[in-house]
Amino acid sequence: MAKRVITLNVNGTEHPVQVDATDRLIDLLRDQLNLKSVKEGCSTGDCGVCAVLVDGKLVNSCLMLAGQCDGRRVTTLEGLVDDPTMKRMQGSFIANNAAQCGFCTPAMLMASWDLARHSAEPSNEEIKVAISGILCRCTGYYQIIDSVREGCKRGEK
Amino acid sequence: MSEQASKLLDSLKVKAERGELLYIGENIVRVDSMEKVLGSPVYTGDLLPKGTVYAKLFHASVPHGIIKRMDLGMARSRPGVLGVLTSKDIPGLNESAAVLQDRQLFADPVVRSTGDILGAVIAETSPAAADAAGKIEVDYDRLPAIFDPLEALGPDAVRIHEKGNIARQMKIRKGNVEKGFADSEFILEKTYRTQFQDAAPLEPEVGLAIPEDGGVRIIGSMQSPHHTQAAVAKVLRLPPEKVRVIQAVTGGAFGPKSDETPYDVCSTAALAAVKFRRPVYCPMDREDSMIMHTKRHPFVISHKTGVSKDGMLLADESKIVGDTGAYASLGVFVIVRATFHTVGAYEVPNVKADSNLVYTNNTYTGSLRGFGGPQAVFAFESQMEELARELGMDPLEFRLKNMLVPGKKNATSAVMDASCGLSQCVEKVVTSSNYREKAARYRNQMGNVRRGLGIALLMHGNSLGPEGNDYGAVHIEVLSDGSVSVGSGLTEYGTGAISGIMQVASSVLGVPLSRFRLERPDTSKHRESGPTVASRVVVIGGNASKLAAEKLRSRIVPIAAGLLRVDPKDVAIADGVAFDQRNPSKTVQWETVVAEAYRRGVSLREDGFFMAPPAPWDQEVGQGTPYVQYTWGALIVEVEVDLGTGSYRVVGAHAAYDVGKAVNPGGVLGQIYGGTVQGLGYAMMEELLHKDGAVVNPNLGDYYVPTSMDIPDEFKAFIVEVPGPLGPFGAKIIAEPPIVLPGPAVRNAVLDATGVSVDDLPVTPEKVLMGMKLGPRARSR
Repeated sequence: MAKRVITLNVNGTEHPVQVDATDRLIDLLRDQLNLKSVKEGCSTGDCGVCAVLVDGKLVNSCLMLAGQCDGRRVTTLEGLVDDPTMKRMQGSFIANNAAQCGFCTPAMLMASWDLARHSAEPSNEEIKVAISGILCRCTGYYQIIDSVREGCKRGEK
Repeated sequence: MSEQASKLLDSLKVKAERGELLYIGENIVRVDSMEKVLGSPVYTGDLLPKGTVYAKLFHASVPHGIIKRMDLGMARSRPGVLGVLTSKDIPGLNESAAVLQDRQLFADPVVRSTGDILGAVIAETSPAAADAAGKIEVDYDRLPAIFDPLEALGPDAVRIHEKGNIARQMKIRKGNVEKGFADSEFILEKTYRTQFQDAAPLEPEVGLAIPEDGGVRIIGSMQSPHHTQAAVAKVLRLPPEKVRVIQAVTGGAFGPKSDETPYDVCSTAALAAVKFRRPVYCPMDREDSMIMHTKRHPFVISHKTGVSKDGMLLADESKIVGDTGAYASLGVFVIVRATFHTVGAYEVPNVKADSNLVYTNNTYTGSLRGFGGPQAVFAFESQMEELARELGMDPLEFRLKNMLVPGKKNATSAVMDASCGLSQCVEKVVTSSNYREKAARYRNQMGNVRRGLGIALLMHGNSLGPEGNDYGAVHIEVLSDGSVSVGSGLTEYGTGAISGIMQVASSVLGVPLSRFRLERPDTSKHRESGPTVASRVVVIGGNASKLAAEKLRSRIVPIAAGLLRVDPKDVAIADGVAFDQRNPSKTVQWETVVAEAYRRGVSLREDGFFMAPPAPWDQEVGQGTPYVQYTWGALIVEVEVDLGTGSYRVVGAHAAYDVGKAVNPGGVLGQIYGGTVQGLGYAMMEELLHKDGAVVNPNLGDYYVPTSMDIPDEFKAFIVEVPGPLGPFGAKIIAEPPIVLPGPAVRNAVLDATGVSVDDLPVTPEKVLMGMKLGPRARSR
């Protein structure tokens, strides 16, 4: 299979990478770029633990081909470790016991961060909708929802 | 400093006056939370060394047959393939079985279910391995197959195993049911059925093996590393010390990761690692996992129950059949727990139960959160509801009359003592849900959308009980910098239980949890501690941790006393500061005390070992005290049903659990929320379907688990604390129990709203609608 070189911006850095036509974005991120926060739970787009942002939109990286990301901007949890909103969200997840096994946590944080960018005081329903594409089998979601509500609140600047 | 010390003393005194303990009962930050919110590479699949190759398991395509021919030629010639492993490549024993020796790692020549693993393709990449696995052709001589456990019990049924189709029997004989029925005013007989449930931990089962020192080092996702070590060593014919197993951070487990599946993936990876001298990663993808790992047993449970005119339970006779699929796995213990819980949280003076764990040609079943409890309690709480309605009694009042309270006896004739907190749990949920007012109001509903209330009560025997010696070992070492390292063969897989046992040590030592570090469970370092199952970590491991910490403290306090120049009995340690209780301005830092211990050569390493007291019971009659203590609980759910479609949602849930002592209340609530929602999945939507023995929906698109959109808008969770005799500081188990009650509570709430009794889980809109079309009680399966 012929490899093709594409260039994508991952977490703020331009990466020229070689990909096959059938390579998935998740494999590019995990295997080539070593971004292990991206998890694989089902490979069929049902569980959402592989969620990342592509051009600011939350997508399942197991359903997107790497080749589709040529010239696009991909953000994973690793790229947001110094972001104040993400730090607040992570702190809120810790304080509210929102991570049990932790396997869905990176994706939940990405979805929550995405919500927090748009809303400082989301309703319960908005929070539920924002994380509805990601399954969590441990928490029953309540402590995650509490975390997101708190994490969305913007402190004094 | 003196101000700090006097504050410490004050807080200690306040706690002592309240009978509280340092750190216990405080919401703590789990020791492993930072790595999780950072997305750190800590799971098995994140840890693959360079040059790792992939193993792809392949499984049978018929439910029962004899392998005639296996054509591996095509697969072997595919690009990137190193080889194909089958039973012929096993140097040791071809076995992967948790309890009975009834299951092979790679089935040969008899195939008993479509989940039977036949071998694995080893290839340079994951897609190459999957591609080649698709090219394997197997011919079988088909054998007749059985998919219904009742049929498997028949006298002329095909034998699935040489010894017959019954893997385990169990019975209870309490009192005299014949007399109980003769005295009864009213007798009800009904049959209830439950479905296959898939645990669906978000990380499927995975194992990595790295060739090392004439053996292998294994890193995997699992509950019980020492059991995995023993299983792999048998397959490879290696001495156990040549198989080093390390549990990686595990992305959910819920039971199946204590069964054979971790053995399967780790043995396969290890076989290939030794053969090809390469690191080998054997991951199950979601489909593999849902086909090949153990599920929750479907049960068929019939109850015949007699009650007196005034609504007292007099006798219950139950017939319990569990479908273990092709292999027994942990089912031999699941059926025992189910039987002990056959009349749930109620006193019935005369009980007769007969249980059979039966082989079929379905994929096999084993451990899953609740371990037989969800099936048994679904059946009996449904029966209680039917009885109340037949008697014209309020379902709550009927339960209050018959439930276990101190002095009453459960099904095994164990006498409930003062540690039974069931009535406190009931009171909490009745008040919180405003049950009485709502029940009265809902009696007169009109219209197409109706509300209903459902109740279920819980008794859950703690710990391993009849499953074997219940012990745990915890190793604690205070390092020279004052930090504390804790290791155990008991494992963490999401609940926070290991943080709980560290919290116990933290409390005893007076050092905050932020100074603690968790060692990865490692068979080369940590003592075998039995399986990490039955929610027993905080109760059993917590006691071991307490013992180890107390021994350390007894060596540390005299050193602190020497430094403070006070009597050791006056030394207190809190928040990493040792001080004189009579004169709190006299302090010395924990680190200084530890450095002094190191200078003097005093060992600050200690092992704690705890074994639960025996839980004797008579196998002939199923009578005795198979559990040392019980967790108690109550759940009320409120549903809103659309009578036009049968669709419904759970609008409110009110749950209370008596956990003895909540070591970490936030963690306890996490178990209540999480277990209840997983139980709501079981109640409302989850069903792994088989057709002719093949799994029809092995993916998370067709097998529904609850999303954030499916949870009740209102969820009130309450922690009740009536100390038990077994756990540290009175703690009882909590991880499993909350999954038990949603099944019957939802079923009973739907019945309350519609008059439709759904007697087989899950309670789907189709069944509700069908029930309404046919009229109440007319629907049959």
